[in-house]
Amino acid sequence: MSFFSEDRSSELKELFFETSAELLQALNEQGLKLEQQPTDSETVREVRRTVHTLKGDAAACGFQELSGLAHELEDVLTVEISAASNGKLAEIVLSANDVFTSMLSAYREGHSIPSPAALRDSIRLIVSRPEPRHIVPYKLTGHFAWNEYEQMAIKQAKEEGQQVFQIALAVDPACPMKTAAMQLVRNVLAQLGQVLAVFPDPSTASDQLDVIEFAVASAQPADIFQKKCYIPSVILDVLVEAVVETSAQTNQRSAQPTPGDELNDVLDLGGDEHASSTESVATEKEVLGSSSSASNKLRVDSERIDSVLNLVGELVIGKSMLMQSVGEFDKRYAKDPLRAKFADAMAFQARVLNDLQKSVMRIRMVPVDQLFRRFPRIVRDVAKSCGKEVVLETAGEETDLDKSILDVLAEPLSHLVRNSVDHGIETPEERIAAGKARQGTIRLNAYHQGNQIVIECRDDGRGIDRYKLVSRAVEKGIVSFEDAERLSDSEALHLVFHPGLSTADRVTEISGRGVGMDVVRAVVDRLKGSTFIESKPGVGTTFFLKIPLTLAIIKALMFRAGGRLYALPLSSVVEIARTTESEVHRVEQHEVMQLRNEVLTIIRMEQLAIRGPLTRRKKIFIVVVSIAERKFGLIVDRLVGEEELVIKALDDHLVATEFVSGASILGDGSVVLILNLSAVVAKLGKAPAFEEAVTA
Amino acid sequence: MSGSKVRTLVIDDSALMRKLIPRILARDADIEVVGTAMDGSFGLKKIEELKPDVVTLDLEMPRMDGMEALRQIMRTHRVPVVVVSAHTQSGASATFKALALGAFDFVPKPFDAAQAHMEGIGDQLIGKVKLAAKTGVSSRKDVIAAEKPKVQKPAQRQKRPPNRVIAIGTSTGGPNALQDLLSQLPGDFPGSLVIVQHMPEGFTEMFARRLNECCAIDVKEAQSGDMLIAGRALICPGNRHIRVRHMPLGDVIVLTDEDKVNGHRPSVDVLFHSVASEFGSSAIGLLMTGMGEDGAEGLGRIKEYGGLTVVQDELSCVVFGMPKIAIERGYAMRVVSLDALANLLVRHCCASAKEWAQAIAQV
Repeated sequence: MSFFSEDRSSELKELFFETSAELLQALNEQGLKLEQQPTDSETVREVRRTVHTLKGDAAACGFQELSGLAHELEDVLTVEISAASNGKLAEIVLSANDVFTSMLSAYREGHSIPSPAALRDSIRLIVSRPEPRHIVPYKLTGHFAWNEYEQMAIKQAKEEGQQVFQIALAVDPACPMKTAAMQLVRNVLAQLGQVLAVFPDPSTASDQLDVIEFAVASAQPADIFQKKCYIPSVILDVLVEAVVETSAQTNQRSAQPTPGDELNDVLDLGGDEHASSTESVATEKEVLGSSSSASNKLRVDSERIDSVLNLVGELVIGKSMLMQSVGEFDKRYAKDPLRAKFADAMAFQARVLNDLQKSVMRIRMVPVDQLFRRFPRIVRDVAKSCGKEVVLETAGEETDLDKSILDVLAEPLSHLVRNSVDHGIETPEERIAAGKARQGTIRLNAYHQGNQIVIECRDDGRGIDRYKLVSRAVEKGIVSFEDAERLSDSEALHLVFHPGLSTADRVTEISGRGVGMDVVRAVVDRLKGSTFIESKPGVGTTFFLKIPLTLAIIKALMFRAGGRLYALPLSSVVEIARTTESEVHRVEQHEVMQLRNEVLTIIRMEQLAIRGPLTRRKKIFIVVVSIAERKFGLIVDRLVGEEELVIKALDDHLVATEFVSGASILGDGSVVLILNLSAVVAKLGKAPAFEEAVTA
Repeated sequence: MSGSKVRTLVIDDSALMRKLIPRILARDADIEVVGTAMDGSFGLKKIEELKPDVVTLDLEMPRMDGMEALRQIMRTHRVPVVVVSAHTQSGASATFKALALGAFDFVPKPFDAAQAHMEGIGDQLIGKVKLAAKTGVSSRKDVIAAEKPKVQKPAQRQKRPPNRVIAIGTSTGGPNALQDLLSQLPGDFPGSLVIVQHMPEGFTEMFARRLNECCAIDVKEAQSGDMLIAGRALICPGNRHIRVRHMPLGDVIVLTDEDKVNGHRPSVDVLFHSVASEFGSSAIGLLMTGMGEDGAEGLGRIKEYGGLTVVQDELSCVVFGMPKIAIERGYAMRVVSLDALANLLVRHCCASAKEWAQAIAQV
């Protein structure tokens, strides 16, 4: 019978997997810290505490292998061992972290557990000098650790002038009935003399029996025992010692704590004392101050939050319905005093709804720290493997971001970081030759900018060689030679995101195959974000990822084109301009216009709705948008206005076009499609055919 | 305590334990977990906020660890604390320190939720939490100082057979009471003590070692074959039964693995019965603080076989359970406060044959 019902205990395991992932992340960081400060007692204690918790949790869930391993690790986590280990302990902690991780996933997937033998060995090695392996096949030795009564019996027999032999017998591992073997030998010995002591205690003897020990008072010579006790296929080896002095007290089994235990204990107590005296002052201060990092957390299934968010979305729609009705009421009863009351109530409701929406959003928000935390290890590993020295600095860890976005960003960001270490940062020699510090620096920063979050990955490496990049792109036919001439700096740099392009002279395991950087771009696009690159040769490169704070509700600009209603994320809109058709010129396959001193590629949004020839108007609205550092002018029929839209995801089967990334419902019940700008620009960037062109 | 539920606060740094422990406690309708906290400092805040009846406390936590939290709880909040303790050597060591600081009792950390033995740990936890709520924080001011002056042990202890065998049984509150009692016995104490303290496996060795450090007599976790000698206390290891046996060369300890008796292993009754039958009128049975009725019948047996039976009095007991039952059944010949126990043992062990006969004659 189990203590908890089946699903209860599986729920418990689920929780364990979740919390242990956090513990391992913490362990990872602490391991890195330990590498830096192997003698810092607080760091060692932190590591030990984490391992300790992991051990307890694993044991509670019945994961004994993991728990046992954690226990072994916990035992060697002392300042003394750490200091003496020459950095080896940190290495062990980190590799233990990896082993724990793979054990966890094995538990989770129901695979067989990976063998931790290698780790076990290194844990053991660190506390003891490596011992030469037993080359001697097997040497039977006797412990002869008699209990008090047996010692007394032996002593008394000696005092009575009897000869006492201590006999150790190696039991054949193949012998099927070991307890019977013991009885057999005992009978033999009883014939030869008086059995004073037996080990192990016959009542507790188990099948694990491999050595039996006796003490016998006898007048027989020693070699008789040798002969009589040797029983083929039962007893393999016999060792006989005559007891000379009554020195049996010296090797009393586990009556006294072994020196090692005692030492451990003393160290442990010492540590505790230290903790309570020095720490208490510090912690008390901390308690008053910071509680952000360690507040009491509630674990909620993200689905539940999503459903609340959905309801809030419905409310937002309800609000605009109400607004609309109130507007109509306003028009019809312009003098009615109820209007003011309605207006007040609406304003109030709008404010509360706004707050509600923000609070629900905040529930989904997690600090970017959760994302940044994984990078110290990545940087360390990559730097180590390519022989570079890199420091990682992070800033803005407390910046909040929607959890779902954060999860998606993990992969592209780690590509960027790997790339920066591998390609951005130079080798120490190159750096010194260039007059830079030996250690390269990678700086991750996150901050809010309006409704967006910006994540920066800055390195102080060699920078992107624009010339090399562009010529490589031309070589591979990604851009034409003519186009290459006209690329702006930022357009040129954006080529690094192109699939199949890498400027690395060599392909490394880490990056350099041109796979990866395009992933960055793809993910950011999917998140309706944008990327920017700054790079100065010899000074370094910075990648900026700008992502909307949340995916669920966006501020949008709505417009009509070709008779249909569309919306654009307001964050990508730079400005709105009015102009006339005569300002639009045709250059090769593009239509362009000049806005102040910039030349914009023009896209006629009508094309989205109308297949075939387009109409021309005299006066036109241009919505200027920016995508990946490039600006485009979108020609629209009519601007409708700005609104907060609750994005409803569209089923892939319903929408056959990549132009639309989602839809929303307005207050009056009409549906608006939200455009996927980068697809629109890519597909419609070329100049369309016109009626005149057809008729002419 | 009114008839309402026992409001319990769980302090543990492991999120898993913060889920598991409330779940275990939820099995009892009389307990309500009112909150959880992830370290000592939050725990203290929550204690002020929620005013729980009982706190369960993990000792090893970040920021403010359990020990410091316990100190503060004992100093200012006066809420009974049940320590949830790890199975390691250092865990055991910290546990006894916590008990010395005033923790009500401890339970081992739950392990392997899928297994049947969780039942036992769960029942223990529930029982101890409820008991702690009922009992409250001990009002004794002299909670034993963490640092005892080094005691003077006799340089070379002779392995003399004892003139009396004293069997002691205790449960909740026992660790502190035993330390109190044993540390008052002189190094040349002529009796031999055999002790059953209800305690899980893995803690008794450290317990014995701790006692050995602060007592003039020797204290040791018992092993099969250990001899009963004057001036030594043997403590039964957790999860085993202990008996005494006459042997040709002296009296020895026998440990066995039979089923639980009175729901306990070790059981006080098992020890008392064997002491009664082996030592008869030279035995002293002492039943100290603890819940339940383990040991009461055994004490009756010691009395029946002509030994002296003593129980700790209500005022000095953390939990007046086992002694109370023994008194009710008429098995207790003496009811003595904790402070007077050492004196009584010394007096009766050093007594002349005549004095002893007088002592056990009066019923």
